[in-house]
Amino acid sequence: MKRIRNFFRYDNIGLLFILPAFCYMMFFVGYPIISNIILSAQNVTVKNLVKGQKEFIGLENYITLFGDDVFRKALLNTLTFTVACLVFQFLIGFLLALLFNKNFRLAKPVRGLTMIPWMMPMTVTALMFKFMFSTDVGIINYILRSAGFIKENIEWLTTPGTAMIAVVAANVWIGIPFNTILISTGLTTIPQELYESASVDGANGWQKLTRITLPLLRPTIESVLVLGFIYTFKVYDLVYVMTEGGPVNSTHLLSTYSYKLSFDMFQYSKGSSVANILFLILLLVGILYLKITMQGEED
Amino acid sequence: MKKKVFATLVSAMMLASVLAGCGATAAAPAPAAAPEAKEETAEAAPAYDSAGEEAAPASEDASGDVTIWYYWETPGHQEALDHIIQEFNGQQDKITVQAKYVPFADFKKQLSVGASAGELPDIVILDNPDHASYAAMGIFADITDRFDVSTYYPGPVNSCTLDGRLYGVPFGSNDLVLFYNEDMLADAGCEVPATWDELLDVAKKTTKGNVYGFAHCALQNEEGTFNFLPWLWSTGQTSYEINSEGGIKALEFEKSLVDAGAFPKEAINWTQGDTMNQFISGNLAMMINGTWQIPTMRQEVPDMKWNVAPIPQDKQQASGLGGENYAVIAGGNEEAAIAFLKYATSKDTCLYMMDHMGYISSDSTIAKDQFQGDAVYQVFVDEMQYANARGPLPEWPDISDAISLAFNKVITGESDAASAAAEAQATIDSILGQ
Repeated sequence: MKRIRNFFRYDNIGLLFILPAFCYMMFFVGYPIISNIILSAQNVTVKNLVKGQKEFIGLENYITLFGDDVFRKALLNTLTFTVACLVFQFLIGFLLALLFNKNFRLAKPVRGLTMIPWMMPMTVTALMFKFMFSTDVGIINYILRSAGFIKENIEWLTTPGTAMIAVVAANVWIGIPFNTILISTGLTTIPQELYESASVDGANGWQKLTRITLPLLRPTIESVLVLGFIYTFKVYDLVYVMTEGGPVNSTHLLSTYSYKLSFDMFQYSKGSSVANILFLILLLVGILYLKITMQGEED
Repeated sequence: MKKKVFATLVSAMMLASVLAGCGATAAAPAPAAAPEAKEETAEAAPAYDSAGEEAAPASEDASGDVTIWYYWETPGHQEALDHIIQEFNGQQDKITVQAKYVPFADFKKQLSVGASAGELPDIVILDNPDHASYAAMGIFADITDRFDVSTYYPGPVNSCTLDGRLYGVPFGSNDLVLFYNEDMLADAGCEVPATWDELLDVAKKTTKGNVYGFAHCALQNEEGTFNFLPWLWSTGQTSYEINSEGGIKALEFEKSLVDAGAFPKEAINWTQGDTMNQFISGNLAMMINGTWQIPTMRQEVPDMKWNVAPIPQDKQQASGLGGENYAVIAGGNEEAAIAFLKYATSKDTCLYMMDHMGYISSDSTIAKDQFQGDAVYQVFVDEMQYANARGPLPEWPDISDAISLAFNKVITGESDAASAAAEAQATIDSILGQ
């Protein structure tokens, strides 16, 4: 008894405080992850989900997957998709944040309006972009044609290469507000005096941006990029509604392919293997994020 | 200062996860493989007030609760089902039936999850190509000697059968035919096509301006496969023989339609409902579509002059069989579930459901009296004899995926017919060889 009491003295008492959260996490997060890892090491298909032997096959699902063209494509697609989305939504979001930071008239209401893409249900956005990118009646082809950029309509969603551009464009549109808001918040923490004294010293706009804004925003930028990576990497509904992974599997992401394997093709173990690979990559990025924020705390 | 940044970031992150959560739940994925009625509104059908009075009474020992899962989102369908359930519950007091709606996009997922967790209803009404998969999973009761399907059409019964045993009862069927816009064909001086060559010719002639001559849903999923397979079957090949003279010919035929500019490539993103909307908006002169679209079309465009004909053929007439089956869950309240099915499939009750939903009864003795004097529906009823079931095979979803990939590759020009067929065949053979 005394030993127990001693154990919880001082620092160890903290363990008690995190116990409820720990239990919750183990039950709702830990258990599904572990059960998914077990599932991915078995050969569960439609025939042995309910009855029959669930054979343990180790890493065989993962090995098969890396030999599967669609999986390799989905993995590559997910990376391309994420990087392309991050670059564009960060750049545009950053510029918008700088713009709204100017505090011109209407800056606040307009900044509020830019939040709309983020508030809209993903399915609505996806359907909207599907119509906009439609070959014959889509507004994007109409604008490009009217402006003289193209003569023939581009078959956005029915050609493998351009379908990817279309889903990236849609996701960039959704992601911009997230970047704008976080960077705007970061900008407000930079003291105005720095800019004033820089002006006195004769710094131009570009110098102020690269010497003051960017260095001081570094922690914000890092967080925005890492969080953006996590949100983009696991996008599912947008692509599912816009292309369902098509045409010819050209826009499959790890998330859509995992769903398709599990619930359309009844290959539960393979589907969970894909989900685990997705999870593993996000886990690494998550650890990176924790490291960055912890460094921020220590500084 | 950094703390403050961190705090704002964390709160933004929490907001973000809340929003992301909203997005995920609000996002009902678009209709996936769905060769069944979805967009239609049931037209006012004659009331069958006496329905069920002469229906088979519940068997002596059956009692308790029966839960049904179904995925029809159309209010007309839900009301029709509810109507017969109320009637059944009202006329006896041993069995209480209730129905639960599960969205189509989640239906297969729910069944899979329910199967592994042991949380299933007593009856499910499911899409017929998926039937064999779930039967193989072992969640459906074998009702071979407990339900008589001898008067049913062979196609639908086949879809409920696995290894010679009956694992369900066909609910109702639909099939595919050619819809055509009478005015557009007349303007182009064309007759209704009956062969592939004629179809290509008419499709070319009716393509002008914004109007495409012909289309069918060509999604890369079950729904697309459903619409493509009649071409393959018409050449005399089975679903498993795509790398054959007939299979390549079918793929090349699709290609020739696309190359002629008469078939919109965008059909690879059109559901059957989208295809119907293009047709009634006057953007299509002809389309392949199913029975369940008729109530909507009659309601939406009462003045449009359209008609139906059998799908143009190569060597033989062929159509795709769609529709739902009832399945009794093994280990559920099986006796009571079967008692309800006997009632639900009795003539008057069945007619009430079919007429409200625009379906054809799978029971040939009922179907032959259905839609008397309705020439449009009569074409569908006649086509039922040539309608093939997909599968039945537990691995059908994988076969279907290979087939839909093949015609998508050909339509988008990713590969030629021969290599697409060869690739699909390799996948099919590896599945069948297992």
